Amino acid sequence: MRPILQKRLPFLTPVIVLLVALLVGAVVFLTAPGNVQAAPPAQTPDNSQCLLCHQKEGAIWQLPGGEGLSITISPEMFGGSVHAKVACQTCHTNIVEYPHPANSAQTTREYTLQYENSCAQCHPNQVKEIADNAHDRVKNDPTNPNAGNTPTCADCHNPHTQSTILKDEGGKLAGLEHAASARTCAQCHNDIYEAYANSVHGEGVLVNNNPDVPSCIDCHGVHNLSGPSASGNQFRLTSPQICAKCHTDESIMGKYGLSTDVLNTYIADFHGTTVTLFEKLDPDQPTNMPVCFDCHGVHDIKRVDDPQKGIQVKDNLLATCQKCHPGATPNFPDSWLSHYIPSKDRAPLVFYVEWFYKILIPLVLGAMIILVGSDIFRRLKTRKAKPVAADVEEKASK
Amino acid sequence: MSNPQKTYNRFSIAQRIEHFVLILSFTTLALTGIPQKFAQAGISEFIIAALGGINTVRIIHRIAATLFILEAIYHAFIVGYKLIVLRLEASMLPGIKDVKDALDFFLHNVGLKKEAPQMPRYNFMEKMEYWAMIWGLVLMGLTGFMLWNPIATTNILPGVFIPAAKVAHGWEAVLAVLAILIWHFYNVHIKHWNWAMFKGHLTQEQMEEEHGAELEKIEAGEIRQLPPSEVVQKRARIYVPIAAVISLVLAALLIRFLTFEETAIETIPPAEANVAVFSQQTPTPLPTAAPTEPVNAAAITTWDAGIADLFKTKCGACHGALGGLSLASYADILKGGSSGAAILPGDAAGSPLVVLQEAGGHAGTFSPEELEIIKTWIAAGAPEK
Repeated sequence: MRPILQKRLPFLTPVIVLLVALLVGAVVFLTAPGNVQAAPPAQTPDNSQCLLCHQKEGAIWQLPGGEGLSITISPEMFGGSVHAKVACQTCHTNIVEYPHPANSAQTTREYTLQYENSCAQCHPNQVKEIADNAHDRVKNDPTNPNAGNTPTCADCHNPHTQSTILKDEGGKLAGLEHAASARTCAQCHNDIYEAYANSVHGEGVLVNNNPDVPSCIDCHGVHNLSGPSASGNQFRLTSPQICAKCHTDESIMGKYGLSTDVLNTYIADFHGTTVTLFEKLDPDQPTNMPVCFDCHGVHDIKRVDDPQKGIQVKDNLLATCQKCHPGATPNFPDSWLSHYIPSKDRAPLVFYVEWFYKILIPLVLGAMIILVGSDIFRRLKTRKAKPVAADVEEKASK
Repeated sequence: MSNPQKTYNRFSIAQRIEHFVLILSFTTLALTGIPQKFAQAGISEFIIAALGGINTVRIIHRIAATLFILEAIYHAFIVGYKLIVLRLEASMLPGIKDVKDALDFFLHNVGLKKEAPQMPRYNFMEKMEYWAMIWGLVLMGLTGFMLWNPIATTNILPGVFIPAAKVAHGWEAVLAVLAILIWHFYNVHIKHWNWAMFKGHLTQEQMEEEHGAELEKIEAGEIRQLPPSEVVQKRARIYVPIAAVISLVLAALLIRFLTFEETAIETIPPAEANVAVFSQQTPTPLPTAAPTEPVNAAAITTWDAGIADLFKTKCGACHGALGGLSLASYADILKGGSSGAAILPGDAAGSPLVVLQEAGGHAGTFSPEELEIIKTWIAAGAPEK
């Protein structure tokens, strides 16, 4: 029985492999989250009927609150959008004929909010992702003055013009999309955007459209986005990992001659050790220990050799230290090795102290082990020569 | 003389308490210190979590360090009393004899020397530990102070002394712990259990092996002679107040050092000052409709001169990019759609487009004036230019 099965096995193996591969493929295919999870329903009348009026340029609906809402839909833009084949009625469900039913919206904001749940029909996964994100938490916090200002899907993705988001094979946004994403956030976070635009990252994204450089979403996430004001201490404690994602990646850092030792040298130091342990033990606890952005800047992060803000400049570093160590004097910043691993040229004192112990420890312990070893050797030899009982007898007879 | 069970006193109760304090502080320092040096190791994380987090670990470490130094101050006071007031022999001082003893001990062990060395009250093994402890105390105290008070330190020394102190503090600790495990544990616990620090005495057998010279002295009646009590009292009257003051000053200095500086503020400084999270951009003004010029019917006579624009605004939404009949270009309009030509040049009334428009009900309709222009244009042969 056994040999026969073994004989057959070589033929069976490819078949089994193929079946398993097919099964896995099917499961992956069926469960892969695409951007669209449900097909939109058909409508009457069709979109061309709506566009007859709505293509008129400069058409503005005056809302009772005083604001005007542009109701122009450019057929070219709409035709080029991902929703070109989606019926207007899919979202504008109450509009089936002209004249349209009265709308109660007083402001453009109120009007936008009427369509808050429309996207979930076709994009339930994305709607799930935004649940409990930073915006959602603000929205659900009645004490937050900005609770009413959080974006709906349409505030970031204009449904009438949103075209397919261009990504590379790795799922990374193409350079121009990357820059566009930052401008999307700028609509409501303009102060931050302006600080970012002048930073080393902002310049890379907005001017050079360099996909290696982070835009807002690379650090804060896209739909599941988080930030320090909504996610509190956790964002702070986990933030070094955000920076490390790129700054420990040799394939990116190598291009710019940047060190990938920045995380391990940080963790090896007092501050980094504390932050790492805090994060592992309880990521929600507050800490006054600095993380990357406390020294390097947040959105306005500059190159380390920037004359105004760069912390390679000693005065700048001292000012940075003094934020938490008010008594620090000019020697103090050197107690931090600036992410360098001690060597003969950089922090030689540390290097030689390490070197001293590399010799002292084996020397001292080696001497001890030799002496202890010799003692064990003698005891074993004596015990072999005269058994314990005889030893005692001999001593007793003395 | 020949009773191996006979015991010899080695340590007083006070000395044994000192040893106990040392065990307590040293073990605590090691247990809270080694996980700090190797903080990323799994076992360290476990220990740190078990002790209540890294901040608690650091506090415990500093309390143990304080206890250790207080013990050192007390020890200095007692040693001073023994040497100055009682004028006892400085039996812990190392000498050439100890080097010889160590060598002989080794040679005897490996069988190159028949006789084991006859060792004094404190043999070379104990002196090694004692002086290693003193070295460790000074080094750990100094580097510990630097790490505890980095701002004060860098007021005097270059900043690089702080990371250097950290490296020295950490590796010195590793050396001390391993030395205790290898040297101390072997010599007093493994090779045989030494009760001297608990019960205070050693057996004759152990004395012979480890303190042969001392045993000989005791047996010969050369016990340590104390000076007459009035001499002791006289000396103590001078020593005790001075030493007490020095000890108190040292203790006060220690306390001062513990609270020397406030290294860092307790609050979390804002990462980003003066940046509002929510700050909307000024919205782009809504586009206004281009002013509509009055239609000059007489001027619109060809496709290029205005007919094209009429079709574009009225029909372009559907009859262009969306497929089916296209009215976007002159060629398209002549070509027509799936049900044939849209216009018949020269025959305005018969053109399907005009028929459809006049019947009404189409989604897009021309105004009567516009339809009139179209009809005139078709009747003229629908010229392009």
